Amino acid sequence: MSRLEERYRLLLRLLPADYRREWEDDMVAAFLESMDTGDAETSAYVADYGRPQLSEVASVIALAARLRLGGTDAPPRSYAWGEAVRLATLMATLAHAVMVTAGVAITTWLSGNIAWLPAPPPDWMPVAAGNLWRTAWDLADYAWLPAYVALVLGHRRVAQALALLAILPPALTNAVRQAAGEVPPSASPWVMLLLDGVLVLAMAAFHDDAAPVPRRRWLRALPIGILLVPVPLFAVQATSQVLRLLDWPGLSCVLVSVATVIHLAGRRPYRPARALPWSLALTLLATTILALRLVTMVDYGHQAQHATLLTIAAAEAAVLLAVGAPLAAMTIRALRRLPAAPTEPPREGIGP
Amino acid sequence: MREPTFLILTVLAGGPRHGYGIVRDVAALSEQRVTLRPGTLYTALDRLTAEGLVEPDREETVDGRRRRYYRLTTAGHHALTTEAARMHQLVNAAETRLRALRPRTT
Repeated sequence: MSRLEERYRLLLRLLPADYRREWEDDMVAAFLESMDTGDAETSAYVADYGRPQLSEVASVIALAARLRLGGTDAPPRSYAWGEAVRLATLMATLAHAVMVTAGVAITTWLSGNIAWLPAPPPDWMPVAAGNLWRTAWDLADYAWLPAYVALVLGHRRVAQALALLAILPPALTNAVRQAAGEVPPSASPWVMLLLDGVLVLAMAAFHDDAAPVPRRRWLRALPIGILLVPVPLFAVQATSQVLRLLDWPGLSCVLVSVATVIHLAGRRPYRPARALPWSLALTLLATTILALRLVTMVDYGHQAQHATLLTIAAAEAAVLLAVGAPLAAMTIRALRRLPAAPTEPPREGIGP
Repeated sequence: MREPTFLILTVLAGGPRHGYGIVRDVAALSEQRVTLRPGTLYTALDRLTAEGLVEPDREETVDGRRRRYYRLTTAGHHALTTEAARMHQLVNAAETRLRALRPRTT
């Protein structure tokens, strides 16, 4: 076996084992033939030093996502993973969209453009942006809102492009500011950037084989989310200083914990197949947010109130672990019980 | 029917082909406009086999590598005929309208 063939077979390990048993040899033969130049010397060189092309790697990754995160016709386990990743992606993107939409409203109010609301306290006034470019740069974060709408409406690639637009400018700004010493070095923005990058990749689960997202339900979730999360937070913030100790990982811990408790309380034991994607989605979110919470605690070392902040963060992590661990155990048991062979699970669209 | 599927079925209508043979013939048929990546090709072959439009034909070993050939089934032939007729009707409609437009634009 040549080095090139080894590299192709290594790449194909991304695909599920049963799929590889059926197609691997055939795919490797097609790959190798496509690299055959007809010239013995060049072919020998390529066999030793050639590597799969980027487009080939991308096509195999896309195929792996389609097979492992299955759509409506996939085997039950692949379908459950697919639905779970799609639900988790929708929930995470919804959280971004809700917070930036509320941010637009608050910025408009602070700018004095909502005449019928009382004027904000003087110390809440926004810092004037330096110029138009800086303002536009800061507004890039708002692209999460159209990204969410695009995802719900079935325009996955548009959603991915918009999400990248929301992610990259703040990441660049942060890199420049940390390099220039304007802000102390911290892990949090980079960990959140990594998670947002994973979120963009996870949008690949909305492939053509997946059932369309129930538009009405998920679009309705946007105003409901705004009413349930940022509006009460803003009201509390207006009257108390306590929320200044709640950061984004902390808020995420609270939201996922509440969602998990509601899910566990409302679970119907006689409909396990319907509950499993939600259980798995919340388990994925809980695991991710727990890791985010633990990693971002490192940054509290530089802050004045670090003892209080660490105590609060530890409590947030403990609550999430307490509700997430039983859910994870139940989810793993349910996944193991799923038959490997294709059957007929309920194939409804994902909905909140 | 999507274009890659249509092109794969059209290639197989010319006789059995192996994986890379399909890639090469699709590129030639589309005048290099469509390049099938292996991920796309095997997704399509897997689906077309499951739908009964394509089936394995034979296997050969060339230069130590196994080649599996695929051929069109009767159902595949029927699906391609239906799609070709649909496209032919659309092409006819477009040409008729363009012919009607031509005197006015000159």
